[in-house]
Amino acid sequence: MPAVKQTVDHVESLERYQHGFITAIDQEFAPKGLSADIVRFISAKKQEPEWMLEWRLAAYERWLAMDEPDWAKVNYPKIDYQDSYYYAAPKEKIGPMSLDEVDPEILATYAKLGIPLREQEVLAGVQGAPKYAVDAVFDSVSVVTTFKKELAAVGVIFCSFSEAVREHPELVKKYLGTVVPASDNYFACLNSAVFSDGSFVYVPPGVRCPMELSTYFRINAAESGQFERTLIIADKGAYVSYLEGCTAPMRDENQLHAAVVELVTLDDAEIKYSTVQNWYPGDPETGKGGIYNFVTKRADCRGDRSKVSWTQVETGSAITWKYPSCVLRGKDSVGEFYSIAITNGRQQADTGTKMIHLGEGTRSRIISKGISAGRSSNTYRGLVSAHPKAKGARNFTQCDSLLIGKTCAAHTVPYIEARNGQSVFEHEATTTRLSDDQLFYVMQRGLSQEEAVQLLVNGFVKDVLQELPMEFAVEAQKLVAISLEGSVG
Amino acid sequence: MTLSLALEARDVSQLPSRRDEDWRWTDLRGLIRELPVPSPEASADASGPFGELGEAELLVVNGRVQGDLGLLNVAEGEQRVVRLRFVSATQATSHGVKLTADLKPGARLTLLESYEGLAPDYLVDADLSFRLGAGARLERIVLAGDDAEGVSVSLASVDLAPGADFAQTVLTDGARRQRLETRVEHPGQDAKVRMDGAYLVADRRHADLTTAVTHAGADGETEQLIKGVVADQGRGVFQGRITVSPGADRTDARMGHHALLLSDRAEVNAKPELLIFADDVACAHGNTVGALNEDALFYAQQRGIPEAEARAMLTEAFIGEVIDRIVHDGAREVARAWAAERRVG
Repeated sequence: MPAVKQTVDHVESLERYQHGFITAIDQEFAPKGLSADIVRFISAKKQEPEWMLEWRLAAYERWLAMDEPDWAKVNYPKIDYQDSYYYAAPKEKIGPMSLDEVDPEILATYAKLGIPLREQEVLAGVQGAPKYAVDAVFDSVSVVTTFKKELAAVGVIFCSFSEAVREHPELVKKYLGTVVPASDNYFACLNSAVFSDGSFVYVPPGVRCPMELSTYFRINAAESGQFERTLIIADKGAYVSYLEGCTAPMRDENQLHAAVVELVTLDDAEIKYSTVQNWYPGDPETGKGGIYNFVTKRADCRGDRSKVSWTQVETGSAITWKYPSCVLRGKDSVGEFYSIAITNGRQQADTGTKMIHLGEGTRSRIISKGISAGRSSNTYRGLVSAHPKAKGARNFTQCDSLLIGKTCAAHTVPYIEARNGQSVFEHEATTTRLSDDQLFYVMQRGLSQEEAVQLLVNGFVKDVLQELPMEFAVEAQKLVAISLEGSVG
Repeated sequence: MTLSLALEARDVSQLPSRRDEDWRWTDLRGLIRELPVPSPEASADASGPFGELGEAELLVVNGRVQGDLGLLNVAEGEQRVVRLRFVSATQATSHGVKLTADLKPGARLTLLESYEGLAPDYLVDADLSFRLGAGARLERIVLAGDDAEGVSVSLASVDLAPGADFAQTVLTDGARRQRLETRVEHPGQDAKVRMDGAYLVADRRHADLTTAVTHAGADGETEQLIKGVVADQGRGVFQGRITVSPGADRTDARMGHHALLLSDRAEVNAKPELLIFADDVACAHGNTVGALNEDALFYAQQRGIPEAEARAMLTEAFIGEVIDRIVHDGAREVARAWAAERRVG
């Protein structure tokens, strides 16, 4: 597969963080700071209807009354919410564009980012490559969404969130905020007030989405935050696989990324959601700069026998605060969470999942692999709960942590709440370091120390990697190696 | 925010609440609107659950020590078995007590500790400190028999010198609200810790076993086995935290918590935590919550054992694993009988 080969070569050529460049294009900004007027400004920029603006303003009011959470095992200086731009967009017309209209600088950016080649081909409009639809979000706006027509032919709606608000208000109104309410938590509430763009997916009853859908998030503007919002609905019997990738420039300042992702599955529907998160992690020595990744992701398995599977590879960000969750409401619904979280340098990650069993016969499975190196800190925090009506609920959780070096930390903080006598929960966790024996064995076979570590780490995370779609799996495997570079010896 | 602070200041706002992360499942602030009046002096005639086992008894009734506090201080090389009884004898009153036990290097103490509720509606706090010198050994066996309507909190803080050995087994059948907490400062350096426990909770009782061990130095060992059986509308809580500080290499820490839910409305909440700041460690925890094994039940019935009896046998064997690990022979048999009497489900 030449495309995959090229991806491998490309990623191999990367040193530590090669997505850290800045694209020099004309951008327009909202005035710095946050106020009701900024919320109105964003809404007006996006030509939103009145109900959307009201929803935003109500969220803003709630946010003002909320306190920033401090329970996660992460440390960072207090964020000045007035010292940031809440809207930054390339100077172009808003809304759907054809590729010809997209600023060549932006296209060059995506080429340079080394998104798998097929995506690049898609962006460049080359035909014949396997189908792979992309929504590219650049700072606060979606610059292009591909394959929309072909998807529309089978009834799948795939577009930017702003477009969905304008074109499909009934669907947005029906589902927006029903999984993550506006006032769910501090960062979700902030997002509800100022969210800029993101993807919207609706798969109609009985349709299996004919291609992988993906969104690529890029932060470019300085002193700005990204607040995207994604909403995916799989109607009865539908299936969709969705991929998400993200990068940002290297800067000495910290930038805030506070996204909200809502997934809804109705009867017999399934959503597979995969993330490869590679935001700029900050300087490994000084810890300066990097993205604060404070994200709320939740799936509502509303329908009977519905299923949601989260797979995440978290390698970037200075701070990660993220708990993709499943509310298992439908009878016999299934939730899965597969995670690799790697921290190096001075990164801090507090991530995990929540599996909330509400319906009868619901099942969930959690496989989490945390790797800490350098001076980083990596925490798994998870909740598994079964409510009195969730008869026959089952969960299996496995959390393994690997420590590389003397100065890093790995924590496991699982919460288990069983409220009925017919549920079965199992949880296992281990914390170890790379075994000297294994390293010695592999090096004895002629591998360098760095290669040996990579091999063993890849073995450690194998269970999760195999859950990723092919296109991402290769890149993710390389990313794992890159993230750990310089962690040994 | 602790019960002991609230009792000292006579101020309910000092009580821990759901908002305190470590108390989210054992809320006192929401339960207690007003502090009961201080307990009067009282006496306790009958003997405690350990009977005449051991050499001496230290009795604490309504927060007042009756006996020789020196029993808890064990000189170098000395060996002693002591009963320590906390009796709450008066309805609708409150009291707290603070005690310290000091084990000099090489000393050995087997502490037979019991909590006895003789009246309903009390609110009590026990704050215990244990200091173990180098090579000292303490085995603490706790039988917590609070009244169904009592509210009781006990905190034991244990400070170990290198080479010390601390082992405890806590058995409880809960109370209206009850928490038995142990905090251990583990120096590593060949010190050993075993912290076992079992909760047998029925009716609307609540039992909370919380432990925290901090490994500060290298070469330390901690093992823990907690089991629980919950029936009716009972609630069992287990919170276990193992912290391995930077430099505490070659720490070997293992934690297991296993609970059986015997009714549809029973509840178990668990949080087995590992906080690791050193790389050369072997730490693991396992946690299971579920119903009684149907296959085992079927097997027993097939052999002619009635269902109720089969259930009792299986739960007894389940809890038995914890009791079997008690080192003191006499105490082990008392604990076994105590648990059998409080069989639930």
